[in-house]
Amino acid sequence: MTAARYVINEIKGYHRFIKFLIFLVVASALASLVRFVFGLGATTNLNDTYPWGLWISFDVVTAVPLAAGAFTLGAIVHCFHIKKLEPLVRPAIVTGFLGYSLVCVGLLLDLGQPQRGWHVLRYWNLHSPMFEVSMCVMAYTTVLFLEFLSPVCEKFGFYLPLRVLRWLEMPLVIAAAAISTLHQSSLGTFFLIAVDKLHNLWYTPVLPLLFWMSAICAGLSIIILEATASHKWMGQPNEGVLLKTLAKILPWALGAYLCVRIGSLVFLSQGPYFDSPALLILFAIEVGIGFVLPLIMLMQSRIRNSDSRRATAAGLVVFGLVLNRFNVSMFGMMHGDKIYFPSFIESVVTIGIIAAHVLFFVLLAKYFPIFEHHPETVDYSLPDRFQKVGAVGARH
Amino acid sequence: MSTQKNPNDGNVFLIDMTKCTGCRGCQVACKQWNQLEAEKTEFFSGEGYQNPPAMSDKTFTRIKFRDYQKNGQNEFAFYKEMCMHCNEPACASVCPVGAFHKTEEGPVIYNADRCIGCRFCMIACPFGVPKYEWSKAFPLVKKCTGCYSRIKAGMKPACATACPTAISYGPRHEMIKEAERRLTMYPDRYLKTVYGKEEAGGTSVMYLTALPFDELGFKKVTLRPLPGYTWQALRLVPSVFLTVGGGLSALSWINHRKERLSRLRDEEAENTETKEDK
Repeated sequence: MTAARYVINEIKGYHRFIKFLIFLVVASALASLVRFVFGLGATTNLNDTYPWGLWISFDVVTAVPLAAGAFTLGAIVHCFHIKKLEPLVRPAIVTGFLGYSLVCVGLLLDLGQPQRGWHVLRYWNLHSPMFEVSMCVMAYTTVLFLEFLSPVCEKFGFYLPLRVLRWLEMPLVIAAAAISTLHQSSLGTFFLIAVDKLHNLWYTPVLPLLFWMSAICAGLSIIILEATASHKWMGQPNEGVLLKTLAKILPWALGAYLCVRIGSLVFLSQGPYFDSPALLILFAIEVGIGFVLPLIMLMQSRIRNSDSRRATAAGLVVFGLVLNRFNVSMFGMMHGDKIYFPSFIESVVTIGIIAAHVLFFVLLAKYFPIFEHHPETVDYSLPDRFQKVGAVGARH
Repeated sequence: MSTQKNPNDGNVFLIDMTKCTGCRGCQVACKQWNQLEAEKTEFFSGEGYQNPPAMSDKTFTRIKFRDYQKNGQNEFAFYKEMCMHCNEPACASVCPVGAFHKTEEGPVIYNADRCIGCRFCMIACPFGVPKYEWSKAFPLVKKCTGCYSRIKAGMKPACATACPTAISYGPRHEMIKEAERRLTMYPDRYLKTVYGKEEAGGTSVMYLTALPFDELGFKKVTLRPLPGYTWQALRLVPSVFLTVGGGLSALSWINHRKERLSRLRDEEAENTETKEDK
């Protein structure tokens, strides 16, 4: 039996939902080919008035904070030393790695000259927030890749790399948190230059700080959602006890975020807030349903202790974050009667990117030790044939 | 970013809109010098007589028409749209590969060989100047070059050369003096401001008009140079990196030490227990 037939047979055995995801990903890959043949103008609804659309607003500005779970949890577990949460770290790292890889894919589609992406490494412009974010995203994707190698090495029994990776664990966790802080906030710096374009409801000098804080909230929420979903649909163990701990941390993050948010509105106001009813409604939905409501919910232990209600609150935070990023990067930038709406191809590509994320996550969890990971059970000692090398590197 | 020592030494356009006749010689000269393709347009497709309906990758400058009533008579007012060649350009500050820079001679020029096509310059420009080649599969940004090649050769920009009445071109401090002279000589003719003297931190294109600027379609922009808005956050990057990295390193060192010590204590306690048992 050839390898191809083996793969086909394997795919035939998948659940219908997985097959549907594969279909979406293939459709999106075809749609992105159309972009390279016919150009951005023909395939997207972008124009000189709205040079950034769905691909920047979702695939970059929203996807990056949605992948913030990895660095947040890494810091909580390893730096703040709440060790019992460790079983959640590995799924978060896989999500982060997939998220960032797909951010890179989305960015390459959106660039006019993707083949010149490496120019960022050659022609530095320290004054550009985009330069800062590009460097950080490249560095952090590398860090996530290294962290992601652990389950791969475990799966194939590569003992030496596994030991190196274990030795690198702490430096990587700290690098991840520091780099993430920089680029999560610098995504907010992007919009500081849009002085007279972004509406006052969102334009504030502390936008970078707000972007960083909301990324932490979203990162924690995504972990809750993901663990609940993989328990419900993928037959993984119920991590409810651990999620309860996370749900206790989350309201603090949300509360701090809301304090800075409201403080910036009250003290750093630059102009009118009430001149556009549509934007005001968007603002109210975002802050009210996306941040205040889950804060109130998560302050009650009744809700924190219930798997489904806790997941609902986390879902609201994710909704709030997505709407916030769209408000800042898209809705808040629209003025007058000219409106941007994503084209069919833009939408297909973005849906495909989301589908790819879910698909790869499910497949990785299927073939690699992502969930079964309990560090105390992993044998980091080297087999006998490594004794000589092992003796040099033995620390523990 | 800016390589210019003193922005007042660079050359600027002083455009007196009250002297403009709307001949659009500047538009034609610009197309010719920059070898830009013609655009298929329709009369009255946009706001009025102006054609084409907007600046684009094929149109770097354009005369906007505006009709208004003066003493019961229908009159025209004009406004020449083009790159403002800011003293501290937002496009140059946000470009991740530094494809834009402000030259000593005045123009802000674009290096197409560096551009990765991210369009951040289009988001950043307060005047909406950089345009994109939307029809291409691998598009680049296009904008007025300030006729940098002509200036290097000792000539004036194409539009300034072609204009029979309205455009003067010279060092910034001289042009400001000239603008102020006209304002004091003919106070009834002009609005009492020079647009571009302070807008966005000062630009290399300055306008004199009779009508209020917003009625002519001038954008209301901040007087503060735009690069400062992002730099006030970006300059914190190194210290934030060190604070977060250092803080978390210290925190984890303390926590790991605590754990190690308590483990040692436990082991010792166990040892003494076993000794006592003996």
